[in-house]
Amino acid sequence: MDLGDYRIDEEPYYRAIGDEVRLYEAAYADRMPVMLKGPTGCGKTRFVEYMAWRLKKPLVTVACHEDMTASDLVGRFLLDAQGTVWHDGPLTIAVRHGAICYLDEIVEARQDTTVVIHPLTDDRRILPLEKKGELVHAHRDFQLVISYNPGYQSVLKDLKESTKQRFGALDFGYPPATIEAEIVAHEAGIDRARAEQLVGIGQRSRNLKGHGLDEGASTRMLIQAGRLMARGVSIEAACQVALVLPITDDEDIRGALTAAIAACV
Amino acid sequence: MDALSDQPELAGTLELVWRQACTSFPAGRVDEWIAACREVAQRLGSNAALAFIRNSPSVATVAGADAALALAAAAPEIAARCGANAVQSLFNAAPLAARRLASAQGFAEWLRVIGIVASKAPESLTLLLDRSERILAKMDVRGFESWALGGIRTAENDPEHRLKFFALLDAKAVQAMERDLDDVQFADVERELKAYGVALWRMAPPIRTLAAGAVDQPRRATFDSGIIRVPETFRGFGGEGAKAIFRAALTHILAHLQFTPGKFPIGSLKPVQIALVSLIEDARVEQLAMARFPGLRRLWLPFHTASAAGAVTAPALMARLSRALIDRDYADDNGWVRKGREMFFADPARWPDAVMSRTIGSLLGNDLGQMRAQFNAKTYAVEPPYRDDNQGLWDYGDAARSDGDTIYESVRFESESDATPDRDRETEGDQAGNDSANRAKPVEADEEVGIPVARYPEWDYLIARERIEWTTVVEYDPPEGQAQRIGAILEGYPALVHRITALVRAAKVSRPLRLKRQPEGDRLDLEASIDAAIDRRLALTPSPNVYARLERRFRDLSVLLLLDASQSTNDVVKGAGKTVLELERDATALLAQAMDGLNDPFAIHAFCSEARENVHYYRIKDFHAPYGVGARCRLAGLTGRFSTRMGAALRHAGHELARQMSYRRLLLMISDGEPSDIDIADRRYLVEDARRAVLGLRHIGIDVFCVGLDAGGDNYLTRIFGRSNVVQVDRVEKLPEKLSLLYFRLTA
Repeated sequence: MDLGDYRIDEEPYYRAIGDEVRLYEAAYADRMPVMLKGPTGCGKTRFVEYMAWRLKKPLVTVACHEDMTASDLVGRFLLDAQGTVWHDGPLTIAVRHGAICYLDEIVEARQDTTVVIHPLTDDRRILPLEKKGELVHAHRDFQLVISYNPGYQSVLKDLKESTKQRFGALDFGYPPATIEAEIVAHEAGIDRARAEQLVGIGQRSRNLKGHGLDEGASTRMLIQAGRLMARGVSIEAACQVALVLPITDDEDIRGALTAAIAACV
Repeated sequence: MDALSDQPELAGTLELVWRQACTSFPAGRVDEWIAACREVAQRLGSNAALAFIRNSPSVATVAGADAALALAAAAPEIAARCGANAVQSLFNAAPLAARRLASAQGFAEWLRVIGIVASKAPESLTLLLDRSERILAKMDVRGFESWALGGIRTAENDPEHRLKFFALLDAKAVQAMERDLDDVQFADVERELKAYGVALWRMAPPIRTLAAGAVDQPRRATFDSGIIRVPETFRGFGGEGAKAIFRAALTHILAHLQFTPGKFPIGSLKPVQIALVSLIEDARVEQLAMARFPGLRRLWLPFHTASAAGAVTAPALMARLSRALIDRDYADDNGWVRKGREMFFADPARWPDAVMSRTIGSLLGNDLGQMRAQFNAKTYAVEPPYRDDNQGLWDYGDAARSDGDTIYESVRFESESDATPDRDRETEGDQAGNDSANRAKPVEADEEVGIPVARYPEWDYLIARERIEWTTVVEYDPPEGQAQRIGAILEGYPALVHRITALVRAAKVSRPLRLKRQPEGDRLDLEASIDAAIDRRLALTPSPNVYARLERRFRDLSVLLLLDASQSTNDVVKGAGKTVLELERDATALLAQAMDGLNDPFAIHAFCSEARENVHYYRIKDFHAPYGVGARCRLAGLTGRFSTRMGAALRHAGHELARQMSYRRLLLMISDGEPSDIDIADRRYLVEDARRAVLGLRHIGIDVFCVGLDAGGDNYLTRIFGRSNVVQVDRVEKLPEKLSLLYFRLTA
């Protein structure tokens, strides 16, 4: 099967913060399963795309959700004109053909679904397809990557210890201010000075984490605001649309954020 | 001068005010005035006339001749409705009111209001008139009207109540005086402003409102030792303007907290120098804040309205200097203002150092003194009004501050995220009669009277039998503390409270459970359907359970939280600076908040023991009682003493819990040490008894779970409760956080 659709041809823009690129390459060399931890919008998915491009491997991404069953990952029999035919799920495709399989927001899925990955994450590297009666041995290029946001869900929805311990982890967080400004300037297409203003505003909103907001503004939100600014929207309006209004419905918090933005410009 | 010569008793007074009258009344109108005086004398008597003659020129000076004449015209009707005293008061109050209102229009309005009050509340008019000046000191004539009419409305048909109101004996009257109808109260904007402070500086110091006392000076926000106090309202600022001034005031104080290193010692500074050092310090911290957040200039600048014209008094000059230091476009020719400006901006590199405020401020204060500009420290109010009164900047040593506001509840708990090093711990101001709330001083046993309520057996492992009716549980009234302490505790964990609220919200909307392979349901279970289709092809009988259903499980559980309140809980936990009991209390306060929000029936009890005949049991909250002020007082007052006879307490709690009719019953115990008692030497005895008690409870369907705080407790706790029913909290200072999260996990 040609995984051409899953290959990344153009270099995705990724600004390294620490030595995460080197660490990931080392992990990949041993095909160690990797867990990317961090809040939303911090570059986890972009990082995986970048590494897939860099290592020249196809990337199969699965967005996990509560309704996902093991069959959604592994595959199922479907009825078509020829009769009952087995269709591989995205995980099986990656396992068979040696792609990097990226399970995004794995905590959202139920725990009886996530255990499917256990036999892939230890030395055996096998994927049993019970319904088909097949045991798939992982292609030697296969690697499993998951992303995980240890936020408010983690009390009730958490990865089992047995799952967590199979992975090496890389921590992602908001980049330091200067680097974040560089990223925002590049991705949004605005000058450095305005990007720095946006980053300052982002930091104000992150101060409110736990004091009215679940999460502060992510880097992604700042980029969205920057893009609006590149189109000529004023910074206050751009921040309203891209930051304040989406992040909360609470009038008081909105007011506080708007005032904080006014203080920064 | 021959006017009124026919009335000798008036003529004397007339002569005294003649000169003033001639200057106040334009030439043609003096005769009108004399006619009015005569009229007043005729209709209202000579006392009234004397009062009129004495006071009306002053009215005319400020508000014009028409005003004085209108006063005379209004007098007879007021006399008719309210009596002669009222007219006297009217004439005496008129010049004061005129001076306050400073305009003809204002005075006319005032007179109109007086007329209304005279007709609707005649008995109160004198009181109103006598206090009119004081009221006008606080509000304009429109406010005066709304206040007076408000008073009439409050006591529509109740003259006595009205009298109290207008005499300002009614607390509501005083409050209403402090507040205009349009004024926005701090409470309305509090939450937004607190979030604003956190967003900008990561600071969330406690903010209280200044008590509405009878302080006649214009109010200013103030801060001291890390607590901020703001007036309930800022007079004259309504609607959006109110939010702006509150925000300006709060940001200014936060700038102090951020950039003012510590209190300045008074040393030998004179009051005018103190005021000026404060002024320079205000400007300095604002400049530093604006360097960080440029938009703050737009927040503060509009309030600086001093102008270069006007009287050259000390307060005016100081207001002008303040403006000169923040407003780059403001021009001022006054030499002193310019000097101050030059000194301030001479070396911006020095701004981070507070010493410059002292240097520049003392110099300028000296200059002011030499310029003989009048400075009255008592009446001086910092301008513009958003700035604080600077009390928090100075170290007055032992000199008591006349505070007017009682520091009632001011216990501060260092919050995890935003402790700044300069802030001190503040101790509870009002400790009278409630020592036991703070320290675990053992109270003499004969002070408490307990009621023996039950006897329970005890298991003796050596003979492998229960001794019947061996222990006696005695219920005592728990000592009461201050309920505000619980509120203060919750304030100390803002992030956790927020998290718990979110979890409560998520848990309440009971999570839907997907039931698969059901014989009936509203949707197909895809897996089961495929299996069924496969089976059919294989000529096997397909299973009929191909449906799936979403079911909402509702919470049906009762929880009894049992706290160990023994002497060992008085040990201070290293790293937290609190005792174990205080942490237990914090954790319980947070958990109670969650349980209250979830509407799970819950109870909080505590225990300790003094030998088997006297197992103390305290009911802080019972199942069907609300989690109200009483429960909070008892939780706040919880103290630790004596020993831990766990088994008896478990049995008693279990007995209570067994009466609950919920599907699931959970007994959650928090223990910090081994079961022990003063009359037992064998360490294993009480452990085995507790284990037996737990087994008994489980036998009747009660889940028992223990949170252990003792690092070495693994062996005995797992023996008592079972390995899977114990959670060790190794760092006790994490207990508040862990307990609530544990609860959610247990009851999901």
